Amino acid sequence: MGVITVDHLRKTYRRVVAVDDLSFDVEAGEIFGVLGPNGAGKTTTVECVQGLRRPDGGTIRVLGLDPASQAEQLRQRIGSQLQDSSLPGRLRVAEAIELFAAFARHPVDRDELIARWRLGGQRAQAFDTLSGGQRQRLFIALAFVNSPEVVFLDELTQGLDPQARRATWELIREIRQGGTTVVLVTHFMDEAEHLCDRVAVVDRGRVVALDTPQRLIDGLGLPSVVRFTTPEPDLGWLEKLDVVQSMARHGDAAEIRGTGPVLALVASELVAHGIVPLDLRVERPTVEDAFLALTGRDVRG
Amino acid sequence: MTMHGYLALTRTEFRLFRREPFSVVFVLAFPLMMMVLLAAVFGNNRADAGKIQNGMLMWRGVTPANYYTAASVAVIVAALGLMTLPITLASYRQRGILRRFRASSVSASTLVGAQLTVAFVTFVAGTLVLAIVARFAYHAALPRDVLGVIVALLAGTAAFGAIGLLLATVIRTSRSAQGIGLMLFFVLWLISGTAPPRAVLPAGLRDAGSFLPLTHLVTAVQNAWFGFGWAGTDLAVLTAYAIAAGVPALWLFRRY
Repeated sequence: MGVITVDHLRKTYRRVVAVDDLSFDVEAGEIFGVLGPNGAGKTTTVECVQGLRRPDGGTIRVLGLDPASQAEQLRQRIGSQLQDSSLPGRLRVAEAIELFAAFARHPVDRDELIARWRLGGQRAQAFDTLSGGQRQRLFIALAFVNSPEVVFLDELTQGLDPQARRATWELIREIRQGGTTVVLVTHFMDEAEHLCDRVAVVDRGRVVALDTPQRLIDGLGLPSVVRFTTPEPDLGWLEKLDVVQSMARHGDAAEIRGTGPVLALVASELVAHGIVPLDLRVERPTVEDAFLALTGRDVRG
Repeated sequence: MTMHGYLALTRTEFRLFRREPFSVVFVLAFPLMMMVLLAAVFGNNRADAGKIQNGMLMWRGVTPANYYTAASVAVIVAALGLMTLPITLASYRQRGILRRFRASSVSASTLVGAQLTVAFVTFVAGTLVLAIVARFAYHAALPRDVLGVIVALLAGTAAFGAIGLLLATVIRTSRSAQGIGLMLFFVLWLISGTAPPRAVLPAGLRDAGSFLPLTHLVTAVQNAWFGFGWAGTDLAVLTAYAIAAGVPALWLFRRY
């Protein structure tokens, strides 16, 4: 039985359909990604799941509870990092954590929380004076203040520098090791690819694909791109390989698109013809390519 | 609503109130300044006290300094209810602070309870400051009936808290809350007997003022302060305001 079950969810704002017949399940202990372009209905969906919005149709169960009618019981057991939320400007970091811990039935150790999210240097700093990354870390810390069984992170690494993103991913993996289920809303493809066990791709208020990141890519049969340079002018024989779909030349540079074990077969054929390029490399399709293929548009809309 | 959460939020709201210059200026400094200025303008001359104008005792039978000391207590209540409370809550809504609170089990009743507690304690503290300053500066009378003043402040907290909460539910941004709050505040301040005594107002304004909550709060505080006995009608009108504004406000705010 899943930790979260969403069945035929529907939510409209006046005449605009934000979520249109959306269903998915989240298993205990997984990192589940909700991926989609802006305006796809991701945030609306997770806000309904957290009981922050009332759906117009469908059923939702989280930890066996109905978020619409049992929001209070549910909120004691889930953690939320929300998009577009903030804190009073003059509230200090340690005060914010103390305040939210006071509403938790099972609060975590506050000092440990502050240390884990590297906020020790900002304890006495007012919210308004924090940098974007520090605010983000504070919000993530607040999502964990009540020892949640399920945590919802909406745009987890927004505003974090590359180093902090990696560190945050590591911490999220650690938290999952501790048994917490993580629901991650993101429009960062690399985040979904590196962090998520399974990903639901949402577009125009529906789930258009749901699988592990690797199987999403594999299932679409997207091409890999093999690149190398060689002064050899005629490489027509490479196009005879079954796995090769197309080849393009730009001066010495060659670019070959193909599926399956295209790198190995191209490499052995090159060697057989006495060509051993030093820069032979392959670009495998990413979640981003899968996303483009599935939604037909860029992730940023 | 848990006690632990309520106390933590109340402590937080106190800290934030103290750190917010706008509320400190309008809620504490402005009434104090007006009390000092108005008492200075009208003097502290006992001879003025019995002056009759428009058939009414101009200063309710007390010296201007005494009159304004008690009236300024009501100004504190109005400033907080009409400005600080709606501005705070509108900015909480606008900036997503209410969403953040809601997602963390902070109930509407806890939030409203903490705001009203901060308001009431501020009123008591402001009253003490006004009373002490007036005592030393003009030898104004200290409250005769302390319990009566506290009851009047409680009724004022309920009425102006409810009005402030209602404003906060219908005004969506802190900028408009500032504009609307300031306008309401100064209209009430001018015609409720907190600035010129109501006796000098033209009849039309005086009649309009008799419907306003601040007029009744001024009377309720003054009656207790000067030992005229509890102002039953005025306390009842304040309670009526608290119910009339508070019921729809709480209903609209319950899922804030």
